[in-house]
Amino acid sequence: MTEYLQVAIFGLLLGGVYALFASGLTLAFGVMRIVNLAHAVFIVASAYIAFFAFEHLGIDPLLSIVFIMPLMFVFGVGVYMALFSRIEGSARYVEMTVLLTFGIAIMIEGLLGWRFTGIFRQAAPGYLTEAFFIGDFLVPTGQFYAAMLSLVLLIGLWAFLRFTRTGYGIRATMQNRAAAQLVGVNVRRVSAISFGISAALAGASGAMMSYLFPFFPFRHWQWIALLLALVVLGGMGSLKGAVVGALILGVASSLVVDQIGPGWGPMVFYAALFVILLVRPRGLFGKEVTA
Amino acid sequence: MALLEVRDVDAGYGAGPNILKGLSLEVEAGKSYCIIGPNGAGKSTLLKVISGLLPTRAGEVTFRGVPFNGARPDQVLAAGICLVPQEQAVFAEMSVRENLVMGGYLVKDRGLIKTRMDRVFELFPILAERASLDAGKLSGGQQQMLTLGRALMIDPDILMLDEPSLGLAPQVADQIFATIRDLEDLGITIVMVEQNAVRGLQLADWGVVLDLGIVRFEGPADTILEDQRIRELYLGKAVDAGDAP
Repeated sequence: MTEYLQVAIFGLLLGGVYALFASGLTLAFGVMRIVNLAHAVFIVASAYIAFFAFEHLGIDPLLSIVFIMPLMFVFGVGVYMALFSRIEGSARYVEMTVLLTFGIAIMIEGLLGWRFTGIFRQAAPGYLTEAFFIGDFLVPTGQFYAAMLSLVLLIGLWAFLRFTRTGYGIRATMQNRAAAQLVGVNVRRVSAISFGISAALAGASGAMMSYLFPFFPFRHWQWIALLLALVVLGGMGSLKGAVVGALILGVASSLVVDQIGPGWGPMVFYAALFVILLVRPRGLFGKEVTA
Repeated sequence: MALLEVRDVDAGYGAGPNILKGLSLEVEAGKSYCIIGPNGAGKSTLLKVISGLLPTRAGEVTFRGVPFNGARPDQVLAAGICLVPQEQAVFAEMSVRENLVMGGYLVKDRGLIKTRMDRVFELFPILAERASLDAGKLSGGQQQMLTLGRALMIDPDILMLDEPSLGLAPQVADQIFATIRDLEDLGITIVMVEQNAVRGLQLADWGVVLDLGIVRFEGPADTILEDQRIRELYLGKAVDAGDAP
């Protein structure tokens, strides 16, 4: 029993990080109906920034979010205004966002590969190899820090959406875009801000990725598949769903890795995606799918 | 000078044909208008054009003499024109109170928001009772009350109502119509599209008959109600049957 609890702790820590990784993706879909296939490449690009800030300037990867998040926010707002706002009126907007973000992902991946080559990178701050005990349970320090920071950022995001005027506007747009316009929400401005926040969350995720997971440019395809599985399980556009989905799949994949082997971990995500689409296409907390 | 003027407006959806075909209409302050006409006449399209949800292809819309073609919906609302849409457009996962706060999204003064919310709760006591409930859990009639109450949070100069009684039980529709009457008495200019044409005309000062994207007739609402030709063409048996929908 203790062994299972230990594995569950590993899974929860991992799930907490996955929740942050997926939160930006689900926010982009919820507010702007953008299926952002470039979200994971935003994370990988941010991981490179955190990695080189650590290697060359000695800045701790977790502290690097102080400048990576604002940088990515501005980048996200710029990308939205330059590209997505131009196709807002299209009858096939959602399909076009898939193609557009696919193109953005290929382009950024190419730039990263050209500049940094395809070799694996991973920052190695001191706490990466440290661990501590809570009772009988081992807690890896690096994963613990990342999970706690994810928690803080997700609570911050929740409070922002819950208590600020812009947050009200974002939530209203997520729930009913036309009605939001009719009560005076400038949905283009709110969408640009939301895409900026989504990119900033990718920035924070990248800072964590830089030391938690080895990365190279092409790796983002594997990540976007996992993140889409999380978001579909939770319900496209539902932040609560993304968090719950991440925790469930984090624990489930840790148990599978422990019981069967490390190669089977990702299989949990694809199996969950397959099952949820068959049984409950709207996910755990998503809106009803209509024809 | 008319408060709102629609002049020679063409409008339609996507690449489709014009739904409004050179439509012109003047709205005077303090009056209530009921727009009637067959399905596809362009009634809802006209309201969408005025509210900025649908751009004009030709012609001009002016408010207080200022053209606002191409204005965004939030800019139209800030100017004082508010649309209550046909479908019950509540924010389902927000509470009733949060929906009303959203109605005052453009209002910076929190005290004013509180005062207006209290007024809405006076008009619709059931909303006060359910203030903390998610709007998606309200009945259809209560959602319509909430949508109407939310519109009042901005204290509009012109309130446009698209089919306010659609799909409502008769008693609930009565309550909505009584509230519209109260709003008229408060001096708010009302522009209403109503499927229950007789009921709408009985409530309004001025009637407008739309057909095929243009104004066919307009005049005092009671005159339109009594006009034999309009009764035959657009009101059918509804007049004979009293105020049946």
